[in-house]
Amino acid sequence: MSAASLIDVEAVSKSFLIPSVRRDTVREHVFGVFEPRRFEQLHVLDRVSFTLRRGETLGIMGRNGCGKSTLLRILCGIYIPDGGRVGVHAGITPILELGVGWNPELDAVDNVYLMGTVLGLTLRGISAQLDGILAFAELDRFARLKLKHYSSGMASRLAYAVAFAAVREVLVLDEIFAVGDAGFRARCEARYGELREAGHTVLMVSHDPRTISTFCDRALLLDGGSLIAEGTGAEVAARYVELLTATP
Amino acid sequence: MPASSATEPVSLTPPRADGVTPHPRLTTIVPSPDVAWPGLVWTLVRTDFKARYHGTASGFAWALLKPATMFVVLVAVFSFVFASEPTYRLDLIIGLFLWDFFADATKTGMTSLSAKSFLLTKAKLPRWIVVVTSMANAVLTLIVFAVVVSLFIVGSGRSPGAAAFAAFALYLVALTLMVAGLALASSVLYLRYRDLNQVWDMATQAGFFLAPIIYPLGVIPERFHLWLFLWPPTPVMEFARAALVDATLPTTRGHACLALMVAILLGGGAAIYRRYAPRAAEYL
Repeated sequence: MSAASLIDVEAVSKSFLIPSVRRDTVREHVFGVFEPRRFEQLHVLDRVSFTLRRGETLGIMGRNGCGKSTLLRILCGIYIPDGGRVGVHAGITPILELGVGWNPELDAVDNVYLMGTVLGLTLRGISAQLDGILAFAELDRFARLKLKHYSSGMASRLAYAVAFAAVREVLVLDEIFAVGDAGFRARCEARYGELREAGHTVLMVSHDPRTISTFCDRALLLDGGSLIAEGTGAEVAARYVELLTATP
Repeated sequence: MPASSATEPVSLTPPRADGVTPHPRLTTIVPSPDVAWPGLVWTLVRTDFKARYHGTASGFAWALLKPATMFVVLVAVFSFVFASEPTYRLDLIIGLFLWDFFADATKTGMTSLSAKSFLLTKAKLPRWIVVVTSMANAVLTLIVFAVVVSLFIVGSGRSPGAAAFAAFALYLVALTLMVAGLALASSVLYLRYRDLNQVWDMATQAGFFLAPIIYPLGVIPERFHLWLFLWPPTPVMEFARAALVDATLPTTRGHACLALMVAILLGGGAAIYRRYAPRAAEYL
Protein backbone atom coordinates (compact mmCIF):
# COMPACT_ATOMS: atom_id res chain seq x y z
CA MET A 1 0.00 0.00 0.00
CA SER A 2 1.35 3.42 -0.91
CA ALA A 3 0.58 6.43 1.26
CA ALA A 4 -1.63 7.92 -1.45
CA SER A 5 -3.70 4.80 -2.18
CA LEU A 6 -7.08 4.42 -0.60
CA ILE A 7 -8.09 1.15 -2.23
CA ASP A 8 -5.65 -1.51 -3.42
CA VAL A 9 -7.06 -4.27 -5.57
CA GLU A 10 -4.63 -7.10 -6.23
CA ALA A 11 -5.47 -9.95 -8.61
CA VAL A 12 -9.08 -10.11 -7.53
CA SER A 13 -11.09 -12.93 -9.05
CA LYS A 14 -14.70 -13.82 -8.68
CA SER A 15 -16.72 -16.58 -10.28
CA PHE A 16 -20.18 -17.96 -9.89
CA LEU A 17 -21.23 -21.57 -10.30
CA ILE A 18 -24.01 -21.77 -12.85
CA PRO A 19 -25.94 -25.07 -12.59
CA SER A 20 -27.35 -26.83 -15.65
CA VAL A 21 -30.68 -26.95 -13.81
CA ARG A 22 -31.49 -24.30 -11.27
CA ARG A 23 -32.93 -25.57 -7.98
CA ASP A 24 -34.07 -22.95 -5.53
CA THR A 25 -36.46 -24.91 -3.38
CA VAL A 26 -36.42 -27.86 -1.00
CA ARG A 27 -38.94 -29.58 -3.28
CA GLU A 28 -36.68 -29.25 -6.32
CA HIS A 29 -33.72 -30.59 -4.38
CA VAL A 30 -35.69 -33.57 -3.06
CA PHE A 31 -37.25 -34.51 -6.39
CA GLY A 32 -34.00 -33.88 -8.26
CA VAL A 33 -31.81 -35.97 -5.98
CA PHE A 34 -31.35 -38.67 -8.64
CA GLU A 35 -30.76 -36.20 -11.44
CA PRO A 36 -27.20 -34.97 -11.06
CA ARG A 37 -26.49 -31.46 -12.22
CA ARG A 38 -23.51 -30.07 -14.07
CA PHE A 39 -22.00 -26.83 -12.89
CA GLU A 40 -20.31 -24.35 -15.15
CA GLN A 41 -17.95 -21.84 -13.60
CA LEU A 42 -18.67 -18.35 -14.82
CA HIS A 43 -15.61 -16.17 -14.32
CA VAL A 44 -16.94 -12.70 -13.70
CA LEU A 45 -13.64 -11.17 -12.62
CA ASP A 46 -10.25 -12.55 -13.57
CA ARG A 47 -7.23 -11.26 -11.62
CA VAL A 48 -8.18 -7.60 -11.73
CA SER A 49 -5.65 -5.24 -10.16
CA PHE A 50 -5.67 -1.48 -9.72
CA THR A 51 -5.20 1.24 -7.15
CA LEU A 52 -7.50 4.10 -6.24
CA ARG A 53 -5.39 7.11 -5.30
CA ARG A 54 -6.38 9.78 -2.85
CA GLY A 55 -8.21 12.70 -4.44
CA GLU A 56 -8.71 11.22 -7.90
CA THR A 57 -11.82 10.22 -9.81
CA LEU A 58 -11.36 6.78 -11.31
CA GLY A 59 -13.85 5.57 -13.89
CA ILE A 60 -14.67 1.99 -14.77
CA MET A 61 -16.23 1.19 -18.13
CA GLY A 62 -17.27 -2.01 -19.80
CA ARG A 63 -20.10 -3.72 -21.53
CA ASN A 64 -23.00 -5.32 -19.69
CA GLY A 65 -21.87 -8.43 -17.83
CA CYS A 66 -18.19 -7.52 -17.84
CA GLY A 67 -18.02 -7.54 -14.04
CA LYS A 68 -18.30 -3.84 -13.15
CA SER A 69 -21.09 -4.19 -10.62
CA THR A 70 -19.54 -7.30 -9.09
CA LEU A 71 -16.27 -5.42 -8.70
CA LEU A 72 -18.00 -2.52 -6.96
CA ARG A 73 -19.80 -4.88 -4.61
CA ILE A 74 -16.52 -6.56 -3.72
CA LEU A 75 -14.93 -3.18 -2.99
CA CYS A 76 -17.88 -2.22 -0.81
CA GLY A 77 -17.70 -5.49 1.14
CA ILE A 78 -21.02 -6.82 -0.09
CA TYR A 79 -19.48 -9.72 -2.02
CA ILE A 80 -16.35 -11.57 -1.02
CA PRO A 81 -13.77 -12.35 -3.73
CA ASP A 82 -12.71 -15.91 -4.55
CA GLY A 83 -9.10 -14.90 -4.94
CA GLY A 84 -6.83 -11.92 -4.63
CA ARG A 85 -6.83 -9.18 -2.07
CA VAL A 86 -8.72 -5.96 -1.54
CA GLY A 87 -7.17 -3.40 0.75
CA VAL A 88 -9.52 -0.60 1.77
CA HIS A 89 -7.81 2.18 3.69
CA ALA A 90 -10.65 4.70 3.90
CA GLY A 91 -14.36 4.83 4.58
CA ILE A 92 -16.54 4.10 1.57
CA THR A 93 -19.98 5.45 0.78
CA PRO A 94 -21.52 3.16 -1.80
CA ILE A 95 -24.18 4.48 -4.15
CA LEU A 96 -25.24 1.32 -5.92
CA GLU A 97 -28.37 0.45 -7.90
CA LEU A 98 -30.24 3.40 -6.56
CA GLY A 99 -33.01 3.22 -9.10
CA VAL A 100 -34.48 0.26 -7.28
CA GLY A 101 -34.86 -0.84 -3.74
CA TRP A 102 -36.63 1.07 -1.09
CA ASN A 103 -39.25 -0.11 1.31
CA PRO A 104 -42.39 0.67 -0.73
CA GLU A 105 -44.61 0.55 2.36
CA LEU A 106 -42.76 3.43 4.01
CA ASP A 107 -42.89 7.10 3.13
CA ALA A 108 -39.94 9.15 1.93
CA VAL A 109 -38.98 10.37 5.40
CA ASP A 110 -38.81 6.87 6.88
CA ASN A 111 -36.92 5.60 3.87
CA VAL A 112 -34.41 8.42 4.27
CA TYR A 113 -33.85 7.37 7.89
CA LEU A 114 -33.57 3.73 6.86
CA MET A 115 -31.07 4.30 4.08
CA GLY A 116 -29.23 6.97 6.05
CA THR A 117 -28.61 4.74 9.05
CA VAL A 118 -27.51 1.90 6.77
CA LEU A 119 -25.01 4.30 5.21
CA GLY A 120 -23.66 5.05 8.68
CA LEU A 121 -25.46 8.27 9.61
CA THR A 122 -26.70 8.99 13.09
CA LEU A 123 -30.35 9.83 13.65
CA ARG A 124 -29.37 13.34 14.73
CA GLY A 125 -27.38 13.85 11.54
CA ILE A 126 -30.27 12.70 9.38
CA SER A 127 -32.77 14.89 11.23
CA ALA A 128 -30.54 17.92 10.76
CA GLN A 129 -30.26 17.32 7.04
CA LEU A 130 -33.71 15.91 6.29
CA ASP A 131 -35.15 19.09 4.77
CA GLY A 132 -32.08 19.56 2.62
CA ILE A 133 -32.27 15.97 1.36
CA LEU A 134 -35.95 16.28 0.45
CA ALA A 135 -35.37 19.65 -1.21
CA PHE A 136 -32.42 18.32 -3.20
CA ALA A 137 -34.63 15.50 -4.46
CA GLU A 138 -37.49 17.97 -5.09
CA LEU A 139 -39.75 15.79 -2.99
CA ASP A 140 -40.69 18.14 -0.16
CA ARG A 141 -44.35 18.00 -1.14
CA PHE A 142 -44.36 14.20 -1.23
CA ALA A 143 -42.40 13.57 1.95
CA ARG A 144 -45.22 11.62 3.57
CA LEU A 145 -46.22 9.70 0.47
CA LYS A 146 -45.42 5.99 0.50
CA LEU A 147 -42.66 5.02 -1.89
CA LYS A 148 -44.95 2.61 -3.71
CA HIS A 149 -46.69 5.66 -5.15
CA TYR A 150 -43.44 7.20 -6.42
CA SER A 151 -42.23 6.97 -9.98
CA SER A 152 -38.85 5.29 -10.48
CA GLY A 153 -37.34 8.70 -11.19
CA MET A 154 -38.61 10.14 -7.92
CA ALA A 155 -37.23 7.16 -5.97
CA SER A 156 -33.87 7.52 -7.67
CA ARG A 157 -33.71 11.22 -6.91
CA LEU A 158 -34.36 10.51 -3.26
CA ALA A 159 -31.65 7.87 -3.20
CA TYR A 160 -29.07 10.19 -4.71
CA ALA A 161 -30.02 12.93 -2.29
CA VAL A 162 -29.45 10.63 0.71
CA ALA A 163 -26.21 9.28 -0.65
CA PHE A 164 -24.89 12.70 -1.58
CA ALA A 165 -25.52 13.89 1.97
CA ALA A 166 -23.79 10.93 3.64
CA VAL A 167 -20.31 10.99 2.26
CA ARG A 168 -17.27 9.20 3.57
CA GLU A 169 -13.82 9.75 2.10
CA VAL A 170 -14.44 7.52 -0.92
CA LEU A 171 -17.60 7.68 -3.00
CA VAL A 172 -18.42 4.62 -5.09
CA LEU A 173 -20.95 5.55 -7.74
CA ASP A 174 -22.76 3.17 -10.05
CA GLU A 175 -24.22 4.83 -13.14
CA ILE A 176 -24.32 8.29 -11.69
CA PHE A 177 -26.05 11.05 -13.66
CA ALA A 178 -28.22 8.48 -15.40
CA VAL A 179 -31.39 9.32 -13.54
CA GLY A 180 -33.76 12.20 -13.44
CA ASP A 181 -34.27 15.04 -15.84
CA ALA A 182 -31.70 17.58 -17.01
CA GLY A 183 -32.28 19.78 -13.99
CA PHE A 184 -31.69 17.00 -11.51
CA ARG A 185 -28.62 15.77 -13.38
CA ALA A 186 -27.24 19.31 -13.25
CA ARG A 187 -27.77 19.35 -9.47
CA CYS A 188 -26.02 15.99 -9.15
CA GLU A 189 -23.12 17.24 -11.22
CA ALA A 190 -22.88 20.40 -9.15
CA ARG A 191 -22.96 18.38 -5.94
CA TYR A 192 -20.34 16.06 -7.37
CA GLY A 193 -18.17 19.14 -8.05
CA GLU A 194 -18.57 20.28 -4.44
CA LEU A 195 -17.53 16.89 -3.14
CA ARG A 196 -14.48 16.82 -5.40
CA GLU A 197 -13.49 20.28 -4.23
CA ALA A 198 -13.86 19.07 -0.66
CA GLY A 199 -11.25 16.43 -1.46
CA HIS A 200 -13.38 13.30 -1.76
CA THR A 201 -12.09 10.46 -3.87
CA VAL A 202 -14.49 8.96 -6.37
CA LEU A 203 -14.78 5.60 -8.07
CA MET A 204 -17.49 5.65 -10.70
CA VAL A 205 -18.92 3.13 -13.11
CA SER A 206 -20.65 4.33 -16.23
CA HIS A 207 -21.63 3.26 -19.71
CA ASP A 208 -21.59 6.86 -20.81
CA PRO A 209 -18.35 7.93 -22.57
CA ARG A 210 -19.19 11.59 -21.92
CA THR A 211 -19.46 11.04 -18.18
CA ILE A 212 -16.18 9.14 -18.01
CA SER A 213 -14.26 11.56 -20.24
CA THR A 214 -15.72 14.60 -18.48
CA PHE A 215 -15.38 13.61 -14.85
CA CYS A 216 -12.61 11.03 -14.57
CA ASP A 217 -8.92 11.71 -14.15
CA ARG A 218 -8.21 8.09 -14.92
CA ALA A 219 -10.28 5.14 -16.10
CA LEU A 220 -10.20 1.38 -16.51
CA LEU A 221 -11.84 -0.73 -19.18
CA LEU A 222 -13.12 -4.17 -18.25
CA ASP A 223 -14.06 -6.82 -20.75
CA GLY A 224 -14.92 -10.44 -20.03
CA GLY A 225 -13.90 -9.94 -16.42
CA SER A 226 -10.38 -8.77 -17.27
CA LEU A 227 -8.81 -5.37 -17.22
CA ILE A 228 -7.97 -4.62 -20.84
CA ALA A 229 -7.13 -0.93 -20.81
CA GLU A 230 -6.13 1.84 -18.45
CA GLY A 231 -5.64 5.51 -19.26
CA THR A 232 -7.19 8.92 -18.99
CA GLY A 233 -10.95 9.18 -18.95
CA ALA A 234 -11.02 10.36 -22.56
CA GLU A 235 -8.71 7.58 -23.77
CA VAL A 236 -10.66 4.81 -22.10
CA ALA A 237 -13.99 6.27 -23.24
CA ALA A 238 -12.71 6.27 -26.84
CA ARG A 239 -11.46 2.69 -26.47
CA TYR A 240 -14.83 1.64 -25.06
CA VAL A 241 -16.63 3.09 -28.06
CA GLU A 242 -14.19 1.23 -30.34
CA LEU A 243 -14.91 -1.98 -28.45
CA LEU A 244 -18.63 -1.53 -28.90
CA THR A 245 -18.45 -0.70 -32.58
CA ALA A 246 -15.89 -3.46 -33.32
CA THR A 247 -18.06 -6.17 -31.82
CA PRO A 248 -20.27 -7.87 -34.40
CA MET B 1 -12.67 19.76 -13.70
CA PRO B 2 -12.96 19.17 -17.46
CA ALA B 3 -15.52 21.19 -19.35
CA SER B 4 -18.74 19.56 -20.56
CA SER B 5 -18.85 18.40 -24.16
CA ALA B 6 -20.54 20.41 -26.88
CA THR B 7 -23.12 17.70 -27.57
CA GLU B 8 -24.55 17.86 -24.07
CA PRO B 9 -24.85 21.49 -23.02
CA VAL B 10 -25.19 20.82 -19.32
CA SER B 11 -23.68 23.44 -17.09
CA LEU B 12 -21.86 22.22 -14.04
CA THR B 13 -22.53 25.35 -12.05
CA PRO B 14 -26.11 26.24 -11.31
CA PRO B 15 -27.97 28.53 -11.41
CA ARG B 16 -28.35 28.02 -15.12
CA ALA B 17 -29.53 30.36 -17.80
CA ASP B 18 -32.06 27.84 -19.16
CA GLY B 19 -34.36 28.05 -16.18
CA VAL B 20 -33.12 25.12 -14.12
CA THR B 21 -33.36 26.09 -10.48
CA PRO B 22 -30.18 26.27 -8.46
CA HIS B 23 -29.71 23.22 -6.30
CA PRO B 24 -30.61 23.48 -2.66
CA ARG B 25 -27.63 23.36 -0.39
CA LEU B 26 -26.90 19.83 0.70
CA THR B 27 -24.55 19.80 3.62
CA THR B 28 -22.26 16.85 3.95
CA ILE B 29 -22.87 14.74 7.02
CA VAL B 30 -19.84 12.61 7.71
CA PRO B 31 -21.02 9.10 8.54
CA SER B 32 -19.46 7.28 11.42
CA PRO B 33 -16.55 5.11 10.31
CA ASP B 34 -18.35 2.03 11.51
CA VAL B 35 -22.01 1.13 11.91
CA ALA B 36 -24.03 3.70 13.89
CA TRP B 37 -25.58 0.96 15.98
CA PRO B 38 -28.23 2.71 18.08
CA GLY B 39 -29.70 4.58 15.12
CA LEU B 40 -29.61 1.55 12.85
CA VAL B 41 -31.28 -0.75 15.38
CA TRP B 42 -33.91 1.81 16.29
CA THR B 43 -34.68 2.60 12.64
CA LEU B 44 -34.93 -1.06 11.63
CA VAL B 45 -37.29 -1.79 14.50
CA ARG B 46 -39.35 1.37 14.01
CA THR B 47 -39.74 0.99 10.25
CA ASP B 48 -40.63 -2.70 10.63
CA PHE B 49 -43.31 -1.72 13.11
CA LYS B 50 -44.60 0.99 10.78
CA ALA B 51 -44.66 -1.22 7.72
CA ARG B 52 -46.36 -4.01 9.60
CA TYR B 53 -48.90 -2.11 11.68
CA HIS B 54 -49.19 1.06 9.59
CA GLY B 55 -47.50 2.91 12.42
CA THR B 56 -50.55 2.95 14.65
CA ALA B 57 -51.42 1.52 18.04
CA SER B 58 -54.63 0.18 16.53
CA GLY B 59 -52.50 -1.65 13.98
CA PHE B 60 -50.51 -3.21 16.81
CA ALA B 61 -53.80 -4.22 18.42
CA TRP B 62 -54.27 -6.74 15.61
CA ALA B 63 -51.12 -8.50 16.74
CA LEU B 64 -52.64 -8.86 20.20
CA LEU B 65 -56.10 -9.74 18.95
CA LYS B 66 -54.95 -12.79 17.02
CA PRO B 67 -53.87 -14.91 20.02
CA ALA B 68 -56.62 -13.36 22.14
CA THR B 69 -59.29 -14.51 19.69
CA MET B 70 -57.70 -17.92 19.47
CA PHE B 71 -57.79 -18.10 23.26
CA VAL B 72 -61.48 -17.24 23.43
CA VAL B 73 -62.41 -19.82 20.80
CA LEU B 74 -60.28 -22.57 22.30
CA VAL B 75 -61.51 -21.87 25.81
CA ALA B 76 -65.08 -21.99 24.57
CA VAL B 77 -64.53 -25.36 22.90
CA PHE B 78 -62.00 -27.21 25.05
CA SER B 79 -63.13 -26.09 28.49
CA PHE B 80 -65.82 -28.73 28.12
CA VAL B 81 -63.37 -31.41 27.02
CA PHE B 82 -60.95 -30.69 29.85
CA ALA B 83 -63.54 -29.65 32.42
CA SER B 84 -61.78 -31.77 35.05
CA GLU B 85 -58.61 -29.66 34.72
CA PRO B 86 -58.97 -26.75 37.17
CA THR B 87 -56.11 -24.74 35.67
CA TYR B 88 -56.95 -25.39 32.05
CA ARG B 89 -57.69 -21.76 31.13
CA LEU B 90 -54.50 -20.44 32.67
CA ASP B 91 -52.45 -23.20 31.07
CA LEU B 92 -54.09 -22.49 27.72
CA ILE B 93 -53.42 -18.76 27.72
CA ILE B 94 -49.78 -19.27 28.72
CA GLY B 95 -49.32 -21.89 26.02
CA LEU B 96 -51.03 -19.80 23.38
CA PHE B 97 -49.09 -16.58 23.82
CA LEU B 98 -45.77 -18.41 23.99
CA TRP B 99 -46.69 -20.33 20.87
CA ASP B 100 -47.78 -17.19 19.06
CA PHE B 101 -44.38 -15.64 19.73
CA PHE B 102 -42.54 -18.77 18.62
CA ALA B 103 -44.50 -19.11 15.36
CA ASP B 104 -44.43 -15.40 14.50
CA ALA B 105 -40.78 -14.72 15.31
CA THR B 106 -39.43 -17.79 13.54
CA LYS B 107 -41.50 -16.95 10.45
CA THR B 108 -40.42 -13.30 10.21
CA GLY B 109 -36.84 -14.20 11.11
CA MET B 110 -36.66 -16.72 8.30
CA THR B 111 -37.62 -14.21 5.61
CA SER B 112 -35.83 -11.24 7.20
CA LEU B 113 -32.75 -11.17 4.95
CA SER B 114 -34.80 -11.68 1.83
CA ALA B 115 -37.22 -8.94 2.87
CA LYS B 116 -34.35 -6.51 3.41
CA SER B 117 -32.50 -7.37 0.22
CA PHE B 118 -32.90 -3.76 -0.91
CA LEU B 119 -30.57 -2.73 1.89
CA LEU B 120 -28.19 -5.65 1.94
CA THR B 121 -27.21 -5.34 -1.72
CA LYS B 122 -26.41 -1.65 -1.35
CA ALA B 123 -24.17 -1.32 1.64
CA LYS B 124 -22.08 -3.38 3.98
CA LEU B 125 -23.81 -3.82 7.30
CA PRO B 126 -23.89 -6.64 9.83
CA ARG B 127 -26.59 -8.87 8.43
CA TRP B 128 -27.31 -10.60 11.71
CA ILE B 129 -28.69 -7.34 13.03
CA VAL B 130 -31.38 -7.44 10.35
CA VAL B 131 -32.36 -10.95 11.48
CA VAL B 132 -32.42 -10.08 15.17
CA THR B 133 -34.31 -6.80 14.76
CA SER B 134 -36.93 -8.55 12.61
CA MET B 135 -37.99 -10.34 15.81
CA ALA B 136 -38.56 -7.07 17.65
CA ASN B 137 -42.27 -6.83 16.95
CA ALA B 138 -42.85 -10.38 18.12
CA VAL B 139 -40.78 -9.67 21.23
CA LEU B 140 -42.86 -6.57 21.92
CA THR B 141 -46.05 -8.62 21.68
CA LEU B 142 -44.48 -11.24 23.94
CA ILE B 143 -43.68 -8.63 26.57
CA VAL B 144 -47.18 -7.14 26.44
CA PHE B 145 -48.75 -10.57 26.81
CA ALA B 146 -46.33 -11.57 29.56
CA VAL B 147 -47.39 -8.54 31.59
CA VAL B 148 -51.08 -9.18 30.89
CA VAL B 149 -50.79 -12.86 31.82
CA SER B 150 -48.87 -12.03 34.98
CA LEU B 151 -51.59 -9.58 36.01
CA PHE B 152 -54.20 -12.18 35.11
CA ILE B 153 -52.46 -14.74 37.33
CA VAL B 154 -52.31 -12.34 40.24
CA GLY B 155 -55.90 -11.23 39.58
CA SER B 156 -57.08 -14.82 39.70
CA GLY B 157 -56.01 -15.00 43.32
CA ARG B 158 -52.72 -16.85 42.87
CA SER B 159 -49.51 -15.59 44.35
CA PRO B 160 -46.67 -17.55 42.83
CA GLY B 161 -44.04 -15.27 44.33
CA ALA B 162 -41.13 -13.23 43.07
CA ALA B 163 -38.96 -16.27 42.37
CA ALA B 164 -41.65 -17.69 40.09
CA PHE B 165 -41.95 -14.45 38.14
CA ALA B 166 -38.16 -14.23 37.87
CA ALA B 167 -38.05 -17.79 36.57
CA PHE B 168 -40.84 -16.95 34.14
CA ALA B 169 -38.81 -14.01 32.82
CA LEU B 170 -35.82 -16.32 32.39
CA TYR B 171 -37.92 -18.80 30.43
CA LEU B 172 -39.01 -16.00 28.10
CA VAL B 173 -35.37 -15.09 27.55
CA ALA B 174 -34.57 -18.76 26.89
CA LEU B 175 -37.36 -18.98 24.32
CA THR B 176 -36.21 -15.76 22.66
CA LEU B 177 -32.65 -17.08 22.39
CA MET B 178 -33.86 -20.36 20.91
CA VAL B 179 -35.97 -18.48 18.38
CA ALA B 180 -32.99 -16.26 17.56
CA GLY B 181 -30.91 -19.35 16.81
CA LEU B 182 -33.60 -20.76 14.55
CA ALA B 183 -34.03 -17.38 12.83
CA LEU B 184 -30.30 -16.97 12.21
CA ALA B 185 -30.02 -20.39 10.60
CA SER B 186 -33.22 -20.24 8.62
CA SER B 187 -32.62 -16.69 7.32
CA VAL B 188 -29.55 -17.76 5.35
CA LEU B 189 -30.97 -21.16 4.37
CA TYR B 190 -34.14 -19.51 3.06
CA LEU B 191 -32.06 -17.64 0.48
CA ARG B 192 -31.00 -21.00 -0.98
CA TYR B 193 -34.28 -22.86 -0.46
CA ARG B 194 -37.09 -20.50 -1.28
CA ASP B 195 -39.88 -22.81 -0.18
CA LEU B 196 -38.38 -23.26 3.28
CA ASN B 197 -41.08 -20.95 4.66
CA GLN B 198 -43.73 -23.37 3.41
CA VAL B 199 -41.89 -26.29 4.96
CA TRP B 200 -41.71 -24.33 8.22
CA ASP B 201 -45.41 -23.47 7.96
CA MET B 202 -46.15 -27.20 7.84
CA ALA B 203 -43.78 -27.86 10.73
CA THR B 204 -45.38 -25.19 12.90
CA GLN B 205 -48.86 -26.38 12.00
CA ALA B 206 -47.95 -29.85 13.20
CA GLY B 207 -45.92 -28.37 16.03
CA PHE B 208 -48.94 -26.56 17.39
CA PHE B 209 -50.47 -29.93 18.21
CA LEU B 210 -47.15 -31.44 19.21
CA ALA B 211 -46.78 -28.85 21.93
CA PRO B 212 -49.14 -29.24 24.89
CA ILE B 213 -51.09 -26.07 24.19
CA ILE B 214 -54.71 -27.11 23.90
CA TYR B 215 -54.32 -30.31 25.86
CA PRO B 216 -52.65 -30.97 29.22
CA LEU B 217 -49.38 -32.87 28.91
CA GLY B 218 -50.77 -35.39 31.35
CA VAL B 219 -53.15 -36.86 28.76
CA ILE B 220 -50.16 -38.09 26.76
CA PRO B 221 -48.51 -41.32 28.03
CA GLU B 222 -45.40 -40.47 29.99
CA ARG B 223 -43.10 -42.50 27.76
CA PHE B 224 -43.67 -39.93 25.00
CA HIS B 225 -42.95 -36.89 27.15
CA LEU B 226 -39.23 -36.88 26.41
CA TRP B 227 -39.95 -36.63 22.70
CA LEU B 228 -42.46 -33.85 23.21
CA PHE B 229 -39.91 -31.95 25.27
CA LEU B 230 -37.51 -31.95 22.34
CA TRP B 231 -39.84 -29.52 20.56
CA PRO B 232 -38.46 -26.16 21.79
CA PRO B 233 -41.71 -24.48 22.90
CA THR B 234 -42.74 -27.44 25.06
CA PRO B 235 -40.25 -27.12 27.94
CA VAL B 236 -40.74 -23.35 28.07
CA MET B 237 -44.52 -23.72 28.25
CA GLU B 238 -44.40 -26.42 30.86
CA PHE B 239 -41.84 -24.62 32.99
CA ALA B 240 -43.75 -21.32 32.75
CA ARG B 241 -46.98 -23.04 33.77
CA ALA B 242 -45.25 -24.75 36.66
CA ALA B 243 -43.85 -21.44 37.90
CA LEU B 244 -46.91 -19.23 37.41
CA VAL B 245 -49.84 -21.58 37.87
CA ASP B 246 -48.53 -24.28 40.20
CA ALA B 247 -46.01 -22.02 41.97
CA THR B 248 -43.38 -24.73 41.73
CA LEU B 249 -40.02 -24.47 40.06
CA PRO B 250 -38.81 -27.30 37.84
CA THR B 251 -35.82 -29.36 38.95
CA THR B 252 -32.22 -28.32 38.44
CA ARG B 253 -31.90 -31.09 35.90
CA GLY B 254 -34.87 -29.68 34.01
CA HIS B 255 -33.27 -26.26 33.96
CA ALA B 256 -29.98 -27.76 32.82
CA CYS B 257 -31.76 -29.50 29.95
CA LEU B 258 -33.42 -26.22 28.96
CA ALA B 259 -30.05 -24.42 29.07
CA LEU B 260 -28.55 -27.16 26.91
CA MET B 261 -31.37 -26.82 24.41
CA VAL B 262 -30.83 -23.05 24.27
CA ALA B 263 -27.09 -23.56 23.77
CA ILE B 264 -27.62 -26.09 20.99
CA LEU B 265 -30.19 -24.03 19.10
CA LEU B 266 -28.44 -20.68 19.50
CA GLY B 267 -24.96 -22.10 18.92
CA GLY B 268 -26.07 -24.26 16.01
CA GLY B 269 -28.03 -21.42 14.47
CA ALA B 270 -25.11 -19.03 14.79
CA ALA B 271 -22.75 -21.63 13.28
CA ILE B 272 -25.01 -22.16 10.26
CA TYR B 273 -25.40 -18.41 9.91
CA ARG B 274 -21.63 -17.86 10.01
CA ARG B 275 -21.16 -20.58 7.42
CA TYR B 276 -23.58 -19.12 4.86
CA ALA B 277 -23.89 -15.41 5.66
CA PRO B 278 -20.72 -14.22 3.90
CA ARG B 279 -22.19 -15.18 0.54
CA ALA B 280 -25.78 -14.31 1.39
CA ALA B 281 -25.82 -11.23 -0.86
CA GLU B 282 -25.11 -13.46 -3.87
CA TYR B 283 -28.44 -15.18 -3.32
CA LEU B 284 -30.51 -12.03 -2.87
